[in-house]
Amino acid sequence: MALSGMRGLSVFISEIRNCQNKEQERLRVDKELGHIRNRFKNEKGLTVYDKKKYVWKMLYIFMLGYDVDFGHMEAVSLISAPKYPEKQVGYLVTSCLLNENHDFLRLAINTVRNDIIGRNETFQCLALTLVGNIGGRDFAESLAPDVQKLLISSSCRPLVKKKAALCLLRLFRKNPDVVNVDGWSDRMSQLLDERNLGVLTSSMSLFVSLVSNNHEAYWSCLPKCVKVLERLARNQDVPQEYTYYGIPSPWLQVKTMRALQYFPTIEDPNTRRALFEVLQRVLMGTDVVKNVNKNNASHAVLFEALALVMHLDAEKEMMSQCVALLGKFIAVREPNIRYLGLENMTRMLMVTDVQEIIKRHQAQIITSLKDPDISIRRRALDLLYAMCDISNAKDIVEELLQYLGTAEFTMREELALKAAILAEKFAPDLSWYVDVILQLIDKAGDFVSDDIWFRVVQFVTNNEDLQPYAALKAREYLDKPAIHETMMKVSAYLLGEYSHLLARRPGCSPKEIFSIIHEKLPTVSTPTISILLSTYAKILMHSQPPDPELQNQIWAIFSKYETSIDAEIQQRAVEYFALSKKGAALMDILAEMPKFPERESSLIKKAEDTEADTAELSAIKSRAQQQASNALVVTDQHPANEPPQVTQLGMVKIPSINNLENNHVDQEVTQTNGIMGEVEPQNGDILGDLLAIEGPPGVSGTETLTEEGALALAPVGELENAVKPVIDIAERFRDLCVKDSGVLYEDPYVQIGIKAEWRGHQGRLVLFLGNKTTSSLDSVHAVILPPSHLKLELSSVPEIIPPRAQVQCPLEVVNLCPSRDVAVLDFSYKFGTTLVDNKLRLPAVLNKFFHPVTLSAEEFFPQWRSLAAPPLKLQEVVRGVRVMSLGEMTNLLNSLKLIVSPGLDPNANNLVASTTFYSESTQSMLCLVRIETDPADRTQLRLTVASGDSTLTFELKEFIKEQLVSIPAASRPPVLQPTIQPISSSDPGALLAGLL
Amino acid sequence: MPVSASAIYFLNLRGDVLINRLYRDDVGGNMVDAFRLHIMQTKELGTCPVRQIGGCSFFYMRISNVYIVIVVSSNANVACAFKFVVEAVNLFKSYFGGAFDEDAIRNNFVLIYELLDEIMDFGYPQNLSPEMLKLYITQEGVRSPFSSKSADKPVPNATLQVTGAVGWRREGLVYKKNEVFLDIVESVNLLMSSKGSVLRCDVTGKILMKCFLTGMPDLKLGLNDKIGLEKESELKSRPTKSGKTIELDDVTFHQCVNLTRFNSEKTVSFVPPDGEFELMKYRITEGVNLPFRVLPTIKELGRTRMEVNVKVKSVFGAKMFALGVVIKVPVPKQTAKTSCQVTSGRAKYNASMDCLMWKIRKFPGQTESTLSAEVELISTIAEKKSWTRPPIQMEFQVPMFTASGLRVRFLKVWEKSGYNTVEWVRYITKAGSYEIRC
Repeated sequence: MALSGMRGLSVFISEIRNCQNKEQERLRVDKELGHIRNRFKNEKGLTVYDKKKYVWKMLYIFMLGYDVDFGHMEAVSLISAPKYPEKQVGYLVTSCLLNENHDFLRLAINTVRNDIIGRNETFQCLALTLVGNIGGRDFAESLAPDVQKLLISSSCRPLVKKKAALCLLRLFRKNPDVVNVDGWSDRMSQLLDERNLGVLTSSMSLFVSLVSNNHEAYWSCLPKCVKVLERLARNQDVPQEYTYYGIPSPWLQVKTMRALQYFPTIEDPNTRRALFEVLQRVLMGTDVVKNVNKNNASHAVLFEALALVMHLDAEKEMMSQCVALLGKFIAVREPNIRYLGLENMTRMLMVTDVQEIIKRHQAQIITSLKDPDISIRRRALDLLYAMCDISNAKDIVEELLQYLGTAEFTMREELALKAAILAEKFAPDLSWYVDVILQLIDKAGDFVSDDIWFRVVQFVTNNEDLQPYAALKAREYLDKPAIHETMMKVSAYLLGEYSHLLARRPGCSPKEIFSIIHEKLPTVSTPTISILLSTYAKILMHSQPPDPELQNQIWAIFSKYETSIDAEIQQRAVEYFALSKKGAALMDILAEMPKFPERESSLIKKAEDTEADTAELSAIKSRAQQQASNALVVTDQHPANEPPQVTQLGMVKIPSINNLENNHVDQEVTQTNGIMGEVEPQNGDILGDLLAIEGPPGVSGTETLTEEGALALAPVGELENAVKPVIDIAERFRDLCVKDSGVLYEDPYVQIGIKAEWRGHQGRLVLFLGNKTTSSLDSVHAVILPPSHLKLELSSVPEIIPPRAQVQCPLEVVNLCPSRDVAVLDFSYKFGTTLVDNKLRLPAVLNKFFHPVTLSAEEFFPQWRSLAAPPLKLQEVVRGVRVMSLGEMTNLLNSLKLIVSPGLDPNANNLVASTTFYSESTQSMLCLVRIETDPADRTQLRLTVASGDSTLTFELKEFIKEQLVSIPAASRPPVLQPTIQPISSSDPGALLAGLL
Repeated sequence: MPVSASAIYFLNLRGDVLINRLYRDDVGGNMVDAFRLHIMQTKELGTCPVRQIGGCSFFYMRISNVYIVIVVSSNANVACAFKFVVEAVNLFKSYFGGAFDEDAIRNNFVLIYELLDEIMDFGYPQNLSPEMLKLYITQEGVRSPFSSKSADKPVPNATLQVTGAVGWRREGLVYKKNEVFLDIVESVNLLMSSKGSVLRCDVTGKILMKCFLTGMPDLKLGLNDKIGLEKESELKSRPTKSGKTIELDDVTFHQCVNLTRFNSEKTVSFVPPDGEFELMKYRITEGVNLPFRVLPTIKELGRTRMEVNVKVKSVFGAKMFALGVVIKVPVPKQTAKTSCQVTSGRAKYNASMDCLMWKIRKFPGQTESTLSAEVELISTIAEKKSWTRPPIQMEFQVPMFTASGLRVRFLKVWEKSGYNTVEWVRYITKAGSYEIRC
């Protein structure tokens, strides 16, 4: 060893070792470092020997954990020393003290290169090792070609070749872009022909790295790999030193099989056959033996072979052989092998269709659940979960339930969740499912998340047949002396909802149920108390005719909790108390929950995507908010004598656990402001799951009934939406009829603004679709349903409106002929999972195509006279006119672009107006209007309209009549089919009659 | 009287209990496990001496390689508890003859149990004075009553002693030569900026006394402190003498000093204990006479060279001198070579402390001495971190000099027999943390 003969060094080391404590050691080291610094500073008199000695000392100090931040120069300079001992320490210290990012290393590159291309093998090895250890980008750039040359040179000894292959591997791994490996496939296949197993192992490592980067280029090497495997499997030409416990070079075998897995498949039948033969041999020839090392080695090879078999999608026969082998392994005593067996079985389930074969080992896997080793138990659980299907679900779930009692705590939650999912996924019948979940809650209440019991409630609510059964079960569990709180929650909920279905059974009268539930009240926590209060309210409601004793008992409880410190409980107590005083109304308010919409199990979701998309999550959340808020807004508008809404309120409240009411209030505030704020529910998850227990689809229907009065003018189809507009659409429409820009529609999520320009018979509207929420709206559709007289072209509307964004959609309008028909915009979008669909009238109405003209008397009267007869000039007595002064009427007409010419008519009570109408068929057409009012009776007037086109005359007359009569009569029917006129235009008498 | 302990534990550094004593039964026996788990094995150890775990408070301190832990469950007086521990350790030291460590405890189990029984009763501290306790807790064997040899000393009456007015002095002491030694020891703490302005400066001093006096003498000490002098002149109704007076802050006395008389007359009068004791402690923050001035100039010339010039001036009287002066001039870690030239003493680079050690054995007053050194640094690979320039530190002792200017004016001894006494007074000033930024 190079240390011999360096007395100073060994003295120093022994002094350090003799130090009593760390402090002494540090003092000694600091002293030595001071000395070394001093010596290094005096370049004079520092012999190569001294340098070597001090650099060794530095290395020793560095290895003791002290900072050494000088002397690198000396270390690097030793690399270029001519003799081995100096060179060796130079290389060693450099690779220890420096890393690839040190600029200092650049100084060494040239020396290292000289060593690599030099003749001296030992120096070559030292240099290659250094490069392999700390070679960075600079090294890769300047040395990779030399190393490559070395690797393929025929004159190199295997020793150097090995190191060269590993060095190149490192350079390639660090900087694959710098090392040029184009055209290396030939060289690689040459290298794989190598007989020397050491070189072959190193080359195979390099090959694995190359293939993982790009397998396409190396197809030609594939047969060579198989050959290598064959050679090893047959143990041909394997020297003794590469045999490990009788296994020919297990490392090379594993690496080769790993390399083969980077190729997607093996097409050549001969190669394939040869490979399978080898694999077969490996699979067959491996057995469990006593020697641990041998076991480890042979199983490493075996499991790599299994991985390869799975990768290659082998024949079914081979697969079943593999499974049989794995089955053997999972029965073995050695825990490592058992673990690997289970793990590989799970992997096998994923990649291939061998479920049936694996099922044969079910019993053995279940035994593994009781293994003393927890990692094996976990594997077994995973495997059971993965292999479960409808045929064996019952067994497996029951097994899991049984195991739950003995499983350790860290596993229980996962176990409970998995059992619940399996039960839900593969339940043969629903009562079994309910049984399982209740058992689950009973056995592992602490580990059952709320999702699980929410889900069971959801199931029961949606399946009427199940309800009595579930209630009965819940009742049975309540008889147990000590039950878990979650069980308490679910039982209370179920009994509250469905206990009346059991009423005839013994021990199930409302009173008995109440008393058994109430017994548990002192033991439960706050959230459960609120559920219990709901249950009491429901029991009270179901006990018909009211039992005064029960009533008093329950009222006493309510009044006790009216002063509870918990706001949720307090509110419930107050509300239920007030509600229960209402007597019969209670029936409607606390009616049974409506069915939940079918939705994906939140459990499965929870299990599957642990990291759920946040956008989606927030969408679900705000949807839950929306549901909640809707309920409140409705009750707010209609006082409590509107039963259906209150039901809904009750519905939302009962399953809520935290302060949902608070949310309601928040929501209400935001709603009234017309701003949809980001009111985060305080109880995100539970709220999210509320909608597991979510708003019934029937709600909208009931809403419709009650809303009709107030919103009689609501646009077509709008009634079906659960999302309500926050503005009065009809009024907006009327406004827009006289204005050119404004808001057309607005609901909590979307605002649609409109801006219009009109020129002659053409118009250009721009729709502004604004997303008010913080999540994007998708499936946005806007379709125009044009009436016959308008030609409308809407530019494409994007599918998705990003959060808080506004989209502009220009819309071209061409007026073909006069008509009072209105274009309808069918606008729909999806928020979360709610589809909102609205049909909105577009304000492209008749008067938009007017162009105001002011006529003098000279112009007016000739025209007026020329249009004399009925089709062109129509007269009608209008009654029931809104009372307004002449000035108001003038303003109204002017706003419709019918310009009143004052003083044209000699009678001051008469108005004369004119305008030009544009359409494609009529071109520009002068229209004249005369209104004769009766100062004695303002509710009637005579309207005369004249124009050059009979349709225009009629339409205009009707239009003006609408404007005069209707506004703002609430009872007016929506203008849905304006073409069907109730009054025939030709007969003024009939017309009059119709109006009367 | 405040409770100060429910139990006391002595643990070694591994957390093994060496000895323990439960004074009340309101804490469990396994409390020490909680201490071990929650305090000793966490990083919290040493950050806070009082910790609460599970309803119990733990007060602990480490003395050499022993942890002394006091456990209480009530609202105890923490200061009292710590004072108790400190006094108990002093007591043990005086019994063991110096060291207090794990071995000393292991060798004196019986004695410690005896003492623990005596110094605390049901959680209330009792007499901790070694003089007292040594009267009846002795380390020598008990003499057999049948032994023919009579006692060479009359056994003093311990009960009377403990309950008497002067608990700290035995009656009937006789010395051939009556002597009193008075030492005034001051340490100067200084932080000075490189420009020579004083940033922080104070003196902490104590008066140590050694008495070999017969009988029960009454002593009176006069200092040149301001309040005492003013009071004196007021009482004797004569004008204050001109001359330097000083203001003492934070004066604390040994228990033997008569505080009522101090409060009324501002004189320090006392019946001293026998032997050595610390009479009083004080602090002075104004009017401090600094014994040394240091003027450093340190120049960094490029990356690898430095020039250091330090001039030290002694500003005390020319007849006095300082002893054991050590000046530590810090240099960067990567110092390779130094060459120092000094006008007196010796200077050397000390690699393990990263400084130039300049030692001057004897430094006369009113002189100055300089160090000029060239320092060469070795270049390093690490990012050039600017050197933090720690302050220059100085150690010294100046006999017969007080930085505060305190002087003993008189020490009077009265005794019934009226013997003559010899009084000796010494002054010495030491460096505390005497630092000059450079």
